[in-house]
Amino acid sequence: MSSLEKETVVRVARVARLRLSEEELAKYGKDLEEILDSFEVLNSAPSSESYDFNPIPVMDVLREDEPFIDIDPEELMKAMDTYEGYVRGPKLS
Amino acid sequence: MTPKVDIEAMRRTNERFEPFCEMISVVPDEDHEFTFSAKDNLCAKGFQARAGSRILEGYRPPFDATPIWKMRAAGGLLLGKTNMDEFGFGTFSTNSGYGIPKNPFDPTRACGGSSGGAACAAALLPGHVALGVSTGGSISCPSSFCGVIGMTPTYGRVSRYGLIDYGNSLDKVGLISRSISDIERFLPVISGSDPKDPTSCCQPRLDLSKVRKGPMAVPKECLEGLTPDVARTFDDAVQTLKEGGTEVDVVSMPSLKYAMPAYYVLATTEASTNLARYCGMRFGVAEREYAQHFNDFFSKTRSESFGDEAKRRILLGTFCRMVGFRDKYYLKALSVRQGITKEYLDVFKDHSMVLSPTMPFIAPKFDEIASMRPLEMYSADFLTIPPNLTGLPHISLPCGYHSGMPIGMQAVAPHWEEGTLIDLGKRWGTTFAYKVPEACQ
Amino acid sequence: MRIGLEVHLQLPTRSKLFCSCPTNGDAPNTSVCPTCLGLPGSKPVLNRKALELGIMIAKFLDCRINDRIWFSRKTYFYPDLPKHFQITQYESPVGNDGHYEHEGKRIGIWRVHIEEDPGRIKRVGRSGEEVSLIDYNRSGIPLVEIVTAPDLESPEQARAFIDQLVTELRYLVGINVQDETSVRVDANLSIGEERVEVKNVQGLKNLERALRYEATRQTKVLDAGKRIVRETRRYDEERKITLPAREKEFEEDYGYIGEPDLGEYHIGQWARETVLKETPFARAERMSAELDIPRQTARQVVLTSGSLADLLEKLCKEVPSEKALQWLLGPISSNWGALEKVIDADGGACVIDIVKADASGSITDSEAKIRLQKCAGVKSEGTPACASNPDMISMVNSFLDAHPEVVKDLRNNAKAANSVIGHVMKETKGQYSSKDIVECVKKEISKRV
Ligand SMILES: [Zn+2]
Repeated sequence: MSSLEKETVVRVARVARLRLSEEELAKYGKDLEEILDSFEVLNSAPSSESYDFNPIPVMDVLREDEPFIDIDPEELMKAMDTYEGYVRGPKLS
Repeated sequence: MTPKVDIEAMRRTNERFEPFCEMISVVPDEDHEFTFSAKDNLCAKGFQARAGSRILEGYRPPFDATPIWKMRAAGGLLLGKTNMDEFGFGTFSTNSGYGIPKNPFDPTRACGGSSGGAACAAALLPGHVALGVSTGGSISCPSSFCGVIGMTPTYGRVSRYGLIDYGNSLDKVGLISRSISDIERFLPVISGSDPKDPTSCCQPRLDLSKVRKGPMAVPKECLEGLTPDVARTFDDAVQTLKEGGTEVDVVSMPSLKYAMPAYYVLATTEASTNLARYCGMRFGVAEREYAQHFNDFFSKTRSESFGDEAKRRILLGTFCRMVGFRDKYYLKALSVRQGITKEYLDVFKDHSMVLSPTMPFIAPKFDEIASMRPLEMYSADFLTIPPNLTGLPHISLPCGYHSGMPIGMQAVAPHWEEGTLIDLGKRWGTTFAYKVPEACQ
Repeated sequence: MRIGLEVHLQLPTRSKLFCSCPTNGDAPNTSVCPTCLGLPGSKPVLNRKALELGIMIAKFLDCRINDRIWFSRKTYFYPDLPKHFQITQYESPVGNDGHYEHEGKRIGIWRVHIEEDPGRIKRVGRSGEEVSLIDYNRSGIPLVEIVTAPDLESPEQARAFIDQLVTELRYLVGINVQDETSVRVDANLSIGEERVEVKNVQGLKNLERALRYEATRQTKVLDAGKRIVRETRRYDEERKITLPAREKEFEEDYGYIGEPDLGEYHIGQWARETVLKETPFARAERMSAELDIPRQTARQVVLTSGSLADLLEKLCKEVPSEKALQWLLGPISSNWGALEKVIDADGGACVIDIVKADASGSITDSEAKIRLQKCAGVKSEGTPACASNPDMISMVNSFLDAHPEVVKDLRNNAKAANSVIGHVMKETKGQYSSKDIVECVKKEISKRV
């Protein structure tokens, strides 16, 4: 990757729900390009077939199916903007 | 035994150096055995938890992070929350939404980051231990710049329950203090399995009496790109170690060059998903203009309240996991991490620890930082990233001074072998004279 | 016509998939915690039961169980999704490549995975100006997603397939589908080359309607010589038609990454050790052959309830299967609501006794039926078996206390018990059968003799 298409940056910003001005698009586009260029060295790194998601083994950690409530939901709701117990949210369409 | 807390002195220190974004204003009546602070991305009842970000303004967590709960249960008084780069995104704590901490040895210079406030507090407050968090070097770096000891335990050693996520496969809670005996005292306090954080549940018991013997390894790759003062100071430290009877070998770890890109890919992809939740609903900054379409509602909040570096890392991380780029960046970085881990384990076959300087330069001045490009800043972490990427425990110890500014060295041990690092810290402390900043009473 | 389905069903657990919140939250936002609200600092912890049920379902569908599985983050923005990523499974579902027999046809199962449900949105306000109100009680409810190959050939078959599947899963793992609308399906249907996806259809009736509409629509398009556009549509329940999904600003890119907060799970051994119950359809086949009863009847009995089928098998050991069926499909079925609990408690002993007595001719038909009703009536209130009913016992004892001569007489003359029996019958206005009273009296007297 030598140049990062402007459309790609626009698309990434939309997927990430960031509204960027033209200048910001240019600035972040340039930064990303520079950073991604420095990542090219990864291509020469040996690959393995498998991959782990943690640097140490984290395996088979499970919880029993026992319901309990630790923090009063009413307290949690107090910190949120609610209407008749529902959390208020924006328009869907 | 209740150590005296001088709120007035703390306030004066904070005015000058800004380690804290929030502090207690009165000393509670209850007895305490020691005082501590917590980085602002650790949730604590009674304080906001904003992780240095404007988007979390007003978030009051209804629970204590496990390490905070454990410190309180052990008799600790939480003095306050320390300043940090927004969500941990930075090397100098200059990306902070609530005050930029100043270096205890020279307030025109940075503390390092992202646990800059924590290292600053540890350097300036008497008898203080600070809870820090490291994702890619955020404990080592500020400890080195502020002339204190920074212990980053093995990934999974300390519960992350209540830690505001940056990179879930990289984040580690650790300790910063002027004294190795504090590290030795409090590491067992905060360690251990926590059923609320599965990644803490597969650890062997912490045994500080287990100390590895054998020569230390200095990767030659870690001796490139250092400023002359750091190179010379580190050389002297190695000399001192040798004189003390420790063998030191120079080794080659060619895969270390992949650590920086692999780290930034993983850290930012994970971060870009962790930060998706900040949107003006439920917690933090409240948008309240519900008549907007949800995309506009979310985009507005996020564009207004995330800082510059947060936006940059969200963009980078989102890109690296998108269809068409995911294999090249995300999956590749996962497999590269395995390769680097393997290389470390090979070195550990005949070496007790891997040693390097902590940072390639001394704490920079704020105006120097202002002119640095993002990639330059990312590259500054090349020494602290490898152990962080691979989850290996490491310690940063002050090893010398240049123009009055501290320089640190970093030792890395195999997974779960924190005892070896603490032993090194204790041995080093018997031969090395730590300096205390003048500003510290 | 080729139809493939993605069926989402709630797994019957008591707590949520990644937190301990109860799954039966009622009033909005009363069963929520930092984890299912996505509060900063919270972490997920996997529910063992949910994984176990996922393994059972995958195994039941003959899937290859993946020994090493993990979870993934599917990132998208919507007000009902607290973290703005859903924890689901991507590369490594619980099971792959299974199949399921439906009415003699083999339906391919591509994958079975588990995931969390988002919250529920209530839309309020004028149409077009609707804002959302969100209830996060659903957030984190465990779901299983079953993805089939496009092996179904008609909307009717698709509906019947899910119906049978849900029936079997209810029996197998206790999946609780109170009404058919709680089944959520994404379906794809192709008549020509291109397939069209119909997303988020609630309930089987709607699914069949949506697929029928879609089949007709596609046929018309092809008949008109036009091409089918590959697209995602939605079903409008009121107008009973499918529509192109609302033009999105852009296609969402889920950017899947592994979920490092959970680590990985090794389930191969666990799956091998998991023994599945016989499913209703398999059981019906077996019972039909073993008991020599019609297959349809066997299915009807098995699908009504497992304990009814258990009872039939027990009855058939004692009496001819014709007699057993006559009772089972007649009086037992009509009193089933009340009898089920009784039978679950006593293993059917009470009912079996009655049927045996009837078969041996020792009681009359009507007496048998009255006894059955009493059995159902008395026991459904949770009182113990007739002969040890404490009310009757105390009544018998107080009579005996008051009439010591009866006890004396009884040693020589069994008929003396009649006075006790008469007394109890009179007092209880025929609530108990004479047999039960006799038994009780004998028992109480024997204690005194
Ligand atoms: Zn919950």
